[in-house]
Amino acid sequence: MTSSFSQIWTVILMNIRSLPQRFWMSFAAVLAVSVVVAVLLSFLAMSNGFKKTLEGAGSEEVAIVTRSGSKSELNSVLSRDIVNIITTAPGIAKNTAGQPIYSPELYVVVDGIKRTTNTEANLPMRGISPAGFDLRDRVDIVAGRMFEPGKNEIIAGQAVQREFSGFELGKTVRFGKTEWTVVGIFSTGGSAFESELWAEARTLQSQFRRGTSFQTVRIRLAEPGNIDGLLNMEQNDPRLALDIQTEAAFFKEQGEAIGGIVFLGWGLSIIMGLGALAGALNTMYTSVSSREQEIATLRAIGFSNISAFFGTLSESLVLSLIGGVVGTLIAYVFMDGLSSSTMGAGFTQVVFTFKLSPELFKQAILLALAIGLVGGVFPAWRAARLPVVLAFRGGV
Amino acid sequence: MTIFFKWLRIICKYLFLIATAPIWVPFWAVWWLLGKIGFVQFATDWAMGNGFYLVYKNLTRRPLRFFLTLFAIFVAFLIYGALTAFDVAFNAGVELAADDRLITVNKINFTQPLPISYVRKVEAVDGIAGVVHMNWFGGYYQDPKTQIQTFAVDQTKLLDVYGDDIILDPVQNTAWQQNKQGLVAGRAVAAAHGWKVGDRIPLNSNIFSQKDGSTSWDFDIVGIYTGSSAQIDTNGIYIRYDYFNETNSFGGDYIGWMGIRTKSPSLNEQVIKDIDDMFVNSPFETETVPEKAFTKGFLAQLGNISLMITSVVFAAFFIILVVVGFSMVLAVKERTSEIGVMKTLGFRSGRLFRMILGESFMLVFAGGTLGLWAATAFLGFLNNVPQFPVPDIILTPTIIMQSVGIMALLALITGIIPATYALRLNIITALSRR
Repeated sequence: MTSSFSQIWTVILMNIRSLPQRFWMSFAAVLAVSVVVAVLLSFLAMSNGFKKTLEGAGSEEVAIVTRSGSKSELNSVLSRDIVNIITTAPGIAKNTAGQPIYSPELYVVVDGIKRTTNTEANLPMRGISPAGFDLRDRVDIVAGRMFEPGKNEIIAGQAVQREFSGFELGKTVRFGKTEWTVVGIFSTGGSAFESELWAEARTLQSQFRRGTSFQTVRIRLAEPGNIDGLLNMEQNDPRLALDIQTEAAFFKEQGEAIGGIVFLGWGLSIIMGLGALAGALNTMYTSVSSREQEIATLRAIGFSNISAFFGTLSESLVLSLIGGVVGTLIAYVFMDGLSSSTMGAGFTQVVFTFKLSPELFKQAILLALAIGLVGGVFPAWRAARLPVVLAFRGGV
Repeated sequence: MTIFFKWLRIICKYLFLIATAPIWVPFWAVWWLLGKIGFVQFATDWAMGNGFYLVYKNLTRRPLRFFLTLFAIFVAFLIYGALTAFDVAFNAGVELAADDRLITVNKINFTQPLPISYVRKVEAVDGIAGVVHMNWFGGYYQDPKTQIQTFAVDQTKLLDVYGDDIILDPVQNTAWQQNKQGLVAGRAVAAAHGWKVGDRIPLNSNIFSQKDGSTSWDFDIVGIYTGSSAQIDTNGIYIRYDYFNETNSFGGDYIGWMGIRTKSPSLNEQVIKDIDDMFVNSPFETETVPEKAFTKGFLAQLGNISLMITSVVFAAFFIILVVVGFSMVLAVKERTSEIGVMKTLGFRSGRLFRMILGESFMLVFAGGTLGLWAATAFLGFLNNVPQFPVPDIILTPTIIMQSVGIMALLALITGIIPATYALRLNIITALSRR
């Protein structure tokens, strides 16, 4: 038993050490696998980054209230009365003065110029109150200052700075008849809120002729994740037709908007992987046929055909593993941290960065190994069945 | 028992042949006909005479390798065909946008409203052939997750502006003018939901509500429009603005944007200036842009899809370049001594060069053609999936021309190195290798 293991080990080492002799064909297989892996990882990193950006915006401690059926903040409308009713519900956190903590917000869309294409893109402009500022975790003014109530002042997210022009600190922007000054830049730790412009809710209401209406209310929950009090009230009061979710659930749903990208990425990678598999099979069959005599000789001096099988199989696996690692490195160097923006569920731009993760690396390496396994098994089978008599044929 | 299996196998074989008859019978018939008129014999002689036969034999001498390389090429062109067709369809809106059409939106952003009084003022501008105002209704049918592009429009003006794209039966159009609750649906969306003219359907809005608080409106389907070409999207629905404006709780006589047709594209610039100047410094400043620019800007908001597609296609071609290139080199190196023999027999170097290049051309064109053919079949299947929310995706002649160009390039790159090797090969070195 030990001897058969040592036989296999010897043959594996022999195969791998002789790889440089078949450098170019092996190189082709490695290259093909690495490209497939890099393509897969680009798609996965894109979808993962988008999801992380939106999920990062959602908190379990905050509930978000929208008009029933509106699906997004932009489509929702809530009158002042509705806001006043729902914020009396039980289960809302209170401040030291005993007042419920909530922020009624406006959400309008304005144009920004996308840097990459120089075209106009939908940017969300959010009207919030000081309480709204406190309802976001990790929010921080990184440059300039906070807007002052009653003035046409806005603060812009860091991601807006990165992807869109016209909102640099100190700049004046015109929306319709009114002019606004960018007085600060804020960060929310990379979450979707950084793709927004913030102004004071009441100023925004008057400048965009929204009267006293709002679009959403964010409510700090007394107990994280527990929205039962709000839900009960919504059901029992006929004046209310609202959707109530925790912010975390709300953004998670929006993060799934480009989930199709994952399928597309896998679909394309598998089809391309078949192309790479053809390359791998070619390489391995060539490898076997160029070592025919060597394999037969080993058999003749007493090595088992199992060792021939595993020798070839592991050669293929090693090649595809190298390909997988190279592809992962390519993806890591060129894709990780790439900034991009797309139209999110809110009909506005969401700026996100491509994000790789250990889980994605694992998937990529598994794909590479799958190519190596299938690409190695058939040639290995042929190697195992080579007739020993080949060893004694001179010449050829 | 064995007898049973034997018969089972024979039955299966013939069942398979019968089932696949529609596929192979035409090929067989063509082959038989060609044989009858002597073409097969002629072609064989011709191929033997000029070396094509030799190229073919060389190519297939290792059937497995030939098949695998062919498959890699097939995959790359399948990806190329399908993705490029998708890219073209995605950008079709830009290509199809009429030069004489403009869009006027609120300068702040196109989701901001405009007052309806602007329509009359814009109609009076010189050089305008038609104006139709539109509102985004945010419509969905039963399932809130599948939105339907629903526009509340001035039904009397829609065809004045978009009549070149939207084909609506005059009888159905008259019915629409007479029925306030009338709805005109595109062919694709009607087919997806099984709607027919005469049906009465409820449609929900995720933005608006009726005065009683309900978000559902009832409509009579009075017409189904088709596109003037396959690439025109027919996933939209048009409803009447007067019905929408009277029933929705916000009311307010606001419109979303205006579609404008000018008398001639040469007037566009003047018309744009006249409209936007008219409303400057008003609470609702406008921005008027050509339809093409608007569509392009809108697609750019989704992200750089074209770059993504190009990168994937490029990666796929890179893989086959590597796989095919190295196998071609290997295939020729293996034949070194044989090439030496051929040279000794008097084969000219130039002829060997052309033969090997011919081999790579034959390989790439066979794989590429199969790949494009599979892409066509795949897209045909996709276009028939109901509820697929895009206009028809087709392999345009441009894509096919481009792929032929790429095939030639690829064949040249992968063939040139081994061909040059054969060209330069010295008989002595070739024969003394072993």
